[in-house]
Amino acid sequence: MSTSPRKRPASEALVAGGVVVLLIAIIGLVFWSGAGSALYPPKAATLQAEEVSKLYNIVFAIAVAIFIAVEGLIIWSILRYRRRPGDVDLPPQTHGNNLVEALWTLIPTVIVLYLFAISWQTLNTVDYTSFANGQQPDVQIHVLAGQFQWQFEYLDSSGKHLATQTKPLGANGGMAVPVGKKVYVTLSSGDVIHAWYVPRFLFKRDVIPGQTNHFEFTVDPAEAGQTFHGQCAELCGTGHNAMHFDVMAMTQSDYDAWLAKLVETANATPPPPPSGAPTIQLAAKNIQFESTGISAPANSPFVIEFKNDDPSTITHDVQIRDSGGTVLQTQDTIPGGTSANYQYTPLAAGTYTFFCSVHSNMTGTLTVK
Amino acid sequence: MATQVLHPAAVPAYRGGLYEWLTTTDHKKIGIMYVINSFLFFLIGGIFALLVRTELAAPGIQLFTNEHVYNEAFSIHATVMIFLFIIPMLAGLGNFVVPLMIGAPDMAFPRINALSFWMLPLGGILLLLGFLTPGGAAAAGWTSYPPLSEKGALASPGPGQDLWIVALILIGTSSILGGINFLVTIFKMRAPGMTLFRMPIMVWTMLVTSVLVVMATPVITSALVMLFIDRNYGGSFFNPQTGGTAVLYQNVFWFYSHPAVYVMVLPAMGMISEILPVFSRKPLFGYKAFIFATAGIGALGFSVWAHHMFTTGAVFLPFFSLMTFLIAVPTGVKMFNWVFTLFRGQLTFSTPLIFAIGFLTMFLIGGINGAFSASVPIDFALQDTYWVVAHLHYVLFGGSVFGMFAGLYYWFPKMTGRMLDEGLGKVHFVLMFVGFNLTFFPMHMLGIQGMPRRIADYASDAGWNDWNLLATIGGFTIAASILPFIWNVFVSLRNGKIAGDDPWEANTLEWATSSPPPPYNFDRLPEIRSERPLFDARHGQVGHGGHGKRGDDDAPKALEEGHHDSQGPTA
Repeated sequence: MSTSPRKRPASEALVAGGVVVLLIAIIGLVFWSGAGSALYPPKAATLQAEEVSKLYNIVFAIAVAIFIAVEGLIIWSILRYRRRPGDVDLPPQTHGNNLVEALWTLIPTVIVLYLFAISWQTLNTVDYTSFANGQQPDVQIHVLAGQFQWQFEYLDSSGKHLATQTKPLGANGGMAVPVGKKVYVTLSSGDVIHAWYVPRFLFKRDVIPGQTNHFEFTVDPAEAGQTFHGQCAELCGTGHNAMHFDVMAMTQSDYDAWLAKLVETANATPPPPPSGAPTIQLAAKNIQFESTGISAPANSPFVIEFKNDDPSTITHDVQIRDSGGTVLQTQDTIPGGTSANYQYTPLAAGTYTFFCSVHSNMTGTLTVK
Repeated sequence: MATQVLHPAAVPAYRGGLYEWLTTTDHKKIGIMYVINSFLFFLIGGIFALLVRTELAAPGIQLFTNEHVYNEAFSIHATVMIFLFIIPMLAGLGNFVVPLMIGAPDMAFPRINALSFWMLPLGGILLLLGFLTPGGAAAAGWTSYPPLSEKGALASPGPGQDLWIVALILIGTSSILGGINFLVTIFKMRAPGMTLFRMPIMVWTMLVTSVLVVMATPVITSALVMLFIDRNYGGSFFNPQTGGTAVLYQNVFWFYSHPAVYVMVLPAMGMISEILPVFSRKPLFGYKAFIFATAGIGALGFSVWAHHMFTTGAVFLPFFSLMTFLIAVPTGVKMFNWVFTLFRGQLTFSTPLIFAIGFLTMFLIGGINGAFSASVPIDFALQDTYWVVAHLHYVLFGGSVFGMFAGLYYWFPKMTGRMLDEGLGKVHFVLMFVGFNLTFFPMHMLGIQGMPRRIADYASDAGWNDWNLLATIGGFTIAASILPFIWNVFVSLRNGKIAGDDPWEANTLEWATSSPPPPYNFDRLPEIRSERPLFDARHGQVGHGGHGKRGDDDAPKALEEGHHDSQGPTA
């Protein structure tokens, strides 16, 4: 038997209070130091994402409360109910209590039903599409994903093809959308499963071959001029981590100009290969160059007439790097079923590697002499 | 003492040399072989994890020659950890303790038991042989979603993927056989007096786990067979280009693989449900409620699989979201039952209890961050990001692995007759606990800030550098924590304190026989009147009278002297 009578209530209250204060202090410190803010989603860029952000805040608050309550109870029990040297008698052999069992079944049930209800409510906003509600969206874009690049096909209001943006990134690349407008996106894949993911939209949707997925979003008008980074989120093979794209938020007038230029470029007849420059034929099929050894004259501009014989979702280009791996000349990718005349500036005599920037397995030797 | 008559040496030992071990049908030896085999695969899977973390420590491709090898590394890491470490480690511990806990001499089908075990190393070797084939091992993730796992040029052309399929079918068959064996053992081999509601919680969780295994594993086996046919015999189950359906595989795969999460967690829950009462000197709070919660998790576990597929656009979202939220309820009931077992107890902080508390504190986080993914709109943001990696590791590492180490420290004396060193055990815990949180907590940040999982590289200006470096440091801390454990096992096997029959003053029948037990397990059994037969033998009726005013001062002493003879009527 322990000899000194314990002042149980006082010490219990003290330990319990201490534990709760400690936990709140730690959590406060984490957030005050800025590390905790990384647990919040990035600033929402679409009206849908703002709803998700609000929902997240509620779930997060409940999560922190449950965390403090239960971890606090565990830590308190650890500190308070250590077996002390005088503890020979058994503690009270409590086998259970139906009332508290019922309580901690019912209360969590109410909490999760509440979470389900508010989630469902937000889901209806996030999953809203104009078409499903008998309305017309402002912009329609068909996203094509292929290993390992994105293309964005712009459609008119009747769903007819306007032009395809084949460059997912960079100065002339990316998916432009007008702010404050309903943008309806359909997704299709020609090979494996990808996922269209923009972190600041707090949204992703799988791009599944044999199935056309769709969603709709409206970019916050305050975001005009911003570029959002997007990336494939479903493992799609070797180049998965390189499957990036940009989403540019534009004012309506900027967007109109951008789209007009895209249409104009797409409809322009490709310039004929400059006469005089030697032309080399090269084709790609089944994610392979049909020739892995080509040659070009030294110190002279030359042209590669490149034909992409893969399905339309698969894009290729022909870039050149030296033996040290430094990329010397780049080209824009072209989708399957098209061809292009790539023009190259003069190279000194030597051996180079030509390669596809989308598929690391596609390489060949370029002999310049 | 009866045991000393049979084993004149101070510490009883298993008889037989290597040949005897390789041909044994004794559930204890098979259980120990399960544990050793699983631990070796844990080390292999851990090395792959370190490779992955090393690659991700900083932006750029440093360690691997190309992304394909990286894809192999994380695919094999997850496959090994799930199918060759966690599931068989828990099954192995169950194999050792379940017959002992119900007072049975062995499993119901000893030869099938040996067969189930030997399929595991075979499957593991087949899986790893993939590295020797052209194209390397499977690289489509442990989920191996088609069409990426089909045979296309940029998909998975090599035989490594076929070896993965064959290995998983073998391991799955082992699981099914083991599950049937557990079910028959538990239903038909219980000692007189061991009614269903006197069974230890560990046995209950193994029972529910076995039901899940027997019902769900054939489903994934069929998916794997279909994938194999697709790849090798021109089938078109999952390939849209030939008329198949890619999402069908995901449904069939997760119909198994979500219940498999409970296969990986329930036995660990059972272990800590044995450990918490023993080291609190109290019964488990709400024994029956706990059993109903376990059965509830098992049943609900079959209705939540599609929460892995919310972003496919091919799921009835409200149903699976609701069921996923609801499964938190029985899990919460268990959490409160555990905490109230500690509450007003007398806690002795031996290593098993410390690891069990590690389970409680970490599994709680794994439950809470799971609620974010149950909320469909939030899951649209989090799915396939590092948040999911954080969540699953808080469940499977924070839960299962901490739980199984609690079980290993707890039953090591019963398995070997020797105690593990407490000091080294605590070093192991502290390193592992710190390393675990350093590794996986930052992944919440990475995920919510937009880092997808399964990427070999990331941009240096993405803002992910610090968290990734922290996670890598944590990964190596976890690796370091394993060293004192291995050292502890080797030292304690030779020089550890001799355990005796019941070093922990435990409650359940496995402690009523020698350590290690004789081949037939029991010379005699104590009377079984509750779920704590040894407690009853030690304390008489005191445990059922509500308060611990004890009247039998000499009972614990009698137990120390050898309770086989002090425990009244034999079974």
